[in-house]
Amino acid sequence: MRESSVAQGELSDDGLLAGMALGEQAAAVAFVRRYQRRVFGLAYSMTGDAGVAEDVAQEAMIRVWKHAPVFDPRRGSVASWVLTITRNLTIDALRLRRAVPTDPDDFAAAALRSNEHNPEDAVQRGDVRHIVRDALEVLPPEQRRAVVLAAVYGRTALEISESEGIPLGTAKTRIRTALIRLRAAIEHPEGVKDER
Amino acid sequence: MNDDMSEHACEEHQEALSELALGVLTGRDRARALAHVESCPRCAEELEQLSHAADAVVQAATEAEPPMGFEVRLFERMGVADVRPKFRLRPRWAVGALSAAAAVIALGVGLSLGLSSSSTPPSTSATAAHVVTADLVQHGTVVGRVAAHGGAHAWMWMMLVDANARGTVDCIIVTSDGVSHQVGTFVANKGYGAWVAPLHVDPQDIRSAEVVAPGGTVIATATLG
Repeated sequence: MRESSVAQGELSDDGLLAGMALGEQAAAVAFVRRYQRRVFGLAYSMTGDAGVAEDVAQEAMIRVWKHAPVFDPRRGSVASWVLTITRNLTIDALRLRRAVPTDPDDFAAAALRSNEHNPEDAVQRGDVRHIVRDALEVLPPEQRRAVVLAAVYGRTALEISESEGIPLGTAKTRIRTALIRLRAAIEHPEGVKDER
Repeated sequence: MNDDMSEHACEEHQEALSELALGVLTGRDRARALAHVESCPRCAEELEQLSHAADAVVQAATEAEPPMGFEVRLFERMGVADVRPKFRLRPRWAVGALSAAAAVIALGVGLSLGLSSSSTPPSTSATAAHVVTADLVQHGTVVGRVAAHGGAHAWMWMMLVDANARGTVDCIIVTSDGVSHQVGTFVANKGYGAWVAPLHVDPQDIRSAEVVAPGGTVIATATLG
């Protein structure tokens, strides 16, 4: 059963999205305030340009607001949906402007230094951010770089092999190995603590 | 296809599954991998798990404070006029959101529910699409909303707002034959909570839904039929 509980007397992400979908201004305000730092943070982490990141973050919030009625909670969390929209828009913006994205090592380093958490996640099902950051931290650097290039920057294995100067098979292996380890960490977070 | 051949086909696609999950597999390789996944439940399950891990990576991104005026510019684009310094959930709005949330979930599966957003006396509505909704009532006060949707993938949605419920509670439904069914166990945080759960009975057979404390005390009831 999928559970979406409410913390600190506030509505859950699902509840806020629902209110926003039906034009509740208070829900829209609360949702934007809950997510704006994460949305802007992701765009800025990928672009390193506050102007581009703001454009992307604004557009991402508008998309979420417009498409809230078709969000299907059975297919994943609100956070995952919102940040995937943001990531895709950032990739499009980088391509359109022919801008140079940030280095994946810088993205990962900033993420690993962070200590924010989502109280709802932390209480109900473990904070996904902390789990993923912990898992990224224990990955070999070359695997971490490969999976961040693919998962965040949308690079194919071929593009990674060319940009990293490694054989295609090696790029594929790094991506796969890293993703399998991340999956294991999400399923069994306690195992990551043992590795650290 | 015998087991050996099936095993071989799965091994062939293992590498592609990761790239498919990450959304970076393209062209013919993507088509081949998708065709295999459609015919292989085991690989379909692995793809789902890998996709969950892939989606989680972007969540690791660090937060950052948007530039000054970000909110104002965004709210102007959204047409949001009432921008208060700090949002606090008002019970009246919260109860209205109950219907809103039910409608959103229904919209998500292509339905159109004509739900009222008021907190008027408990009501029940049914549509040809086997959707029933009703208010959850505690001591004569509306403290939540429940919606049950039928069809091939039936589900039930429930929301509590400011109810006298703490910790783990059970959701029980009673069908027209008088039998009680436990839909699920949830956690109510300071009286608030919202859940979606699969449903294994026809919504039109449901007579009532109850939120029950571990000791058996009925916290709130909704009359659906």
